[in-house]
Amino acid sequence: MLTNVKLGKNMRSVSIVGVGATPFFNGVENPAYKGLTNGELFGYAALDAMADAGVEPRDVQYFFHGSANPHVLNGCITPNLQVADWFGMRGKGSISHSEGCCTGYIGLEEAVFAVASGAYDIVLSGCSEQGTGMPDGNTPDHMRTALTSEVLFPDLDSIFDRAYGRYLGGGPGMNHDDWINYYAHENGLTAEQVDDVLNHQAYHFRRNATLCPRAIRRKPYDEMAKEAGFDDVWEFMRSPHNPKMSQYLRTSSDSCVADGAAACIVVPTEIAHKFNANPVEVLGTGASVLDAIVPHLEKKATAEAARQVFEMTGLTADDMDLVFVNDFIGSSAFLAAEEIGYLPKGEGWKYAIDGRLAYDGDKPMNTNGGRTSYGHAFGASGMADIFEAVTQMRGEAGERQIKKLPKYTFLRGFGGAQNVRATILRAGF
Amino acid sequence: MSTEKITVKTEDFWNREHVVEKFWNGLKDGIVYAKKCKECGAIEFPPHHACNTCGYHETEWTTLKGSGVLKSFVFTGVLNARLELEDRNLKYVCGEVELDEGPAINAVILGINRKKAKTIQNQLPIQVRPVFYDMGRYTTLFFELDED
Repeated sequence: MLTNVKLGKNMRSVSIVGVGATPFFNGVENPAYKGLTNGELFGYAALDAMADAGVEPRDVQYFFHGSANPHVLNGCITPNLQVADWFGMRGKGSISHSEGCCTGYIGLEEAVFAVASGAYDIVLSGCSEQGTGMPDGNTPDHMRTALTSEVLFPDLDSIFDRAYGRYLGGGPGMNHDDWINYYAHENGLTAEQVDDVLNHQAYHFRRNATLCPRAIRRKPYDEMAKEAGFDDVWEFMRSPHNPKMSQYLRTSSDSCVADGAAACIVVPTEIAHKFNANPVEVLGTGASVLDAIVPHLEKKATAEAARQVFEMTGLTADDMDLVFVNDFIGSSAFLAAEEIGYLPKGEGWKYAIDGRLAYDGDKPMNTNGGRTSYGHAFGASGMADIFEAVTQMRGEAGERQIKKLPKYTFLRGFGGAQNVRATILRAGF
Repeated sequence: MSTEKITVKTEDFWNREHVVEKFWNGLKDGIVYAKKCKECGAIEFPPHHACNTCGYHETEWTTLKGSGVLKSFVFTGVLNARLELEDRNLKYVCGEVELDEGPAINAVILGINRKKAKTIQNQLPIQVRPVFYDMGRYTTLFFELDED
C-alpha cells in the first residue's frame, strides 16, 4: 500500500456546535422502544442536535444520512429522502452514505468537507440504524421482526470484495482475530493471558456503560457473576456463561447489536460561538481503506490514518486526553490505542488489565462503554461516539466524566471490511 | 429524417479485457494468473488494472507458481466461520500466505486441525502449495502444507 498522502488544511475550519443521540436499544424486544421507525429515530436525534445548537430546521441547509445497511434493515436504498420530512428539511439537499460500521465517522468527515468548502454554513450529519430487526414483510415501517442469522450472516459477506476476496481468503475468517493473534505472538502473550486481557477490558468498559444511560448493556459484570452463582467475577468471565465466539473473543468482547441514531450540527469555526458556548473543532481526519484480503489490514490502516492526521495537525498521541475506538471486535480497543501511540508499544495489554482505560483511569477511552457495552447500531455507532466525545469535552458526562477535561480527543473509525478514519477534535477555545 | 449513420460499432470503439473472468477461468485450469507492474515490477495479486505497490497505471499479465509460505493463522469460531467451508466439513484455518513471487494475501489453508496447529505454530513461516478447489460453479485457490 502507498503511504504518500499529505493532508492539507481545509479551506476554513469547521466545528461541532450541536449533538443529539437516542439510546442504543433492542427495538424488537424492548417494549418501550418497539415500533419506532428509522425516520422517527433519525428525526429525534436530528432535532436534539438542532436544539443543542440553538437552530431550527429552517436554518439547516443540507444534511447527510448514514446507515450501514438500509436495504436489508429498513427496506430502502435512499433513506435520506425518506427521513427528511421528519425534521422539517423537505426539499433541501441531502445524501445517503453507507460505509459499514465506519459510516458515523465518515458522516462527520463529509459534513466538515461540505462546510469547509464554503458551499454551506450549517450542516446536519446524522446516522440511524435498526440493527436488531428487519421489515416484517411489505408493511409500514413500525412493523418489524427480529433479524435472523439466516438473513444476517450471508448478507454480511457483501462487505467483502466480490471480484476476488470473499472467494479466496478475504472473507470473514481473519476479520476478528488476526490483529490480536499477531499482537500475542509479537509480545509473547499466551492464550490465557490474552483471555485475561480481553476479559478485564470488557469488565472496565462495562463500568463505563453502567454510568451511561444511553448504553444497551449496563448491568455490571460483578452483578451478573453473582446472579450466576460465582463469587469471583473473573471465574465467571472465563466460564461458559461467557462463551468463546472465535479463537480469542468471548461474548463479552463481541459487539452487542442495537438500534439507535445520533446526529451533529457543524458550522464554520469563525461563527461557532454564536451557536454554542463550547464548540468542538474538527482539526482533521486521516483516512485509509483496505479490503479484507490484505493481511493485518486493521493495524496497517489504523497506523496510516493516524499518521496522516498527526502530521497535518502537528499533534502527537501524547496530546490526546481521550480516545474512542470502534471496537465491534473487542480486542481492537487497546490494540488501536497502542498502534496510534496513546499506550506504550507492547504494553497496551497491561493498561487493559489494570483498568487504566476506564473513565476513571489515566488513559481513558470508550467512555460510553464501546461497542461491547454501549452497543453497536452499525452505521450509527460512530456518530454515537462523536456524541460522547463532545459530551466529555464539554464536561457534561456526569458520573462518567473523565478526570481531566479533554482538550483533544482522537476517534478511530473502522468498518465495512474495512474503512478507517482517524479524527482529532479540539475543545476549550 | 435523420441522415446520421453508425460508422463505428461500440464494441469496436471500446473492447477491453475481462480480468476477473480470466483469473477464475485460470484457476479451473490450474493456472494462477497475476499482473506485473510495467514500471516497478511488483506483482499485483489478485490481478487488477493498476499497481497498488507504486501507484503506476499499467500492468501486464504473468503467472505465479502458487506456492509460498504461511506466516500466521487463526482458527474460526461461530462468529467468523466460513460457512461455505463448514458446509463441506472441511478442516481449515485462515492465515497470511506470502507467495514466492512476493505478494501476500489472507488465505484459506486446508487440512489443519488443532493438533497439527500446535506443531506448526512454532515452525512458521512454513511452506504451502496451492489447492485448486472445485466449489461447484467455480474453482478457487486455497492452500495446504507442503509436507513432501
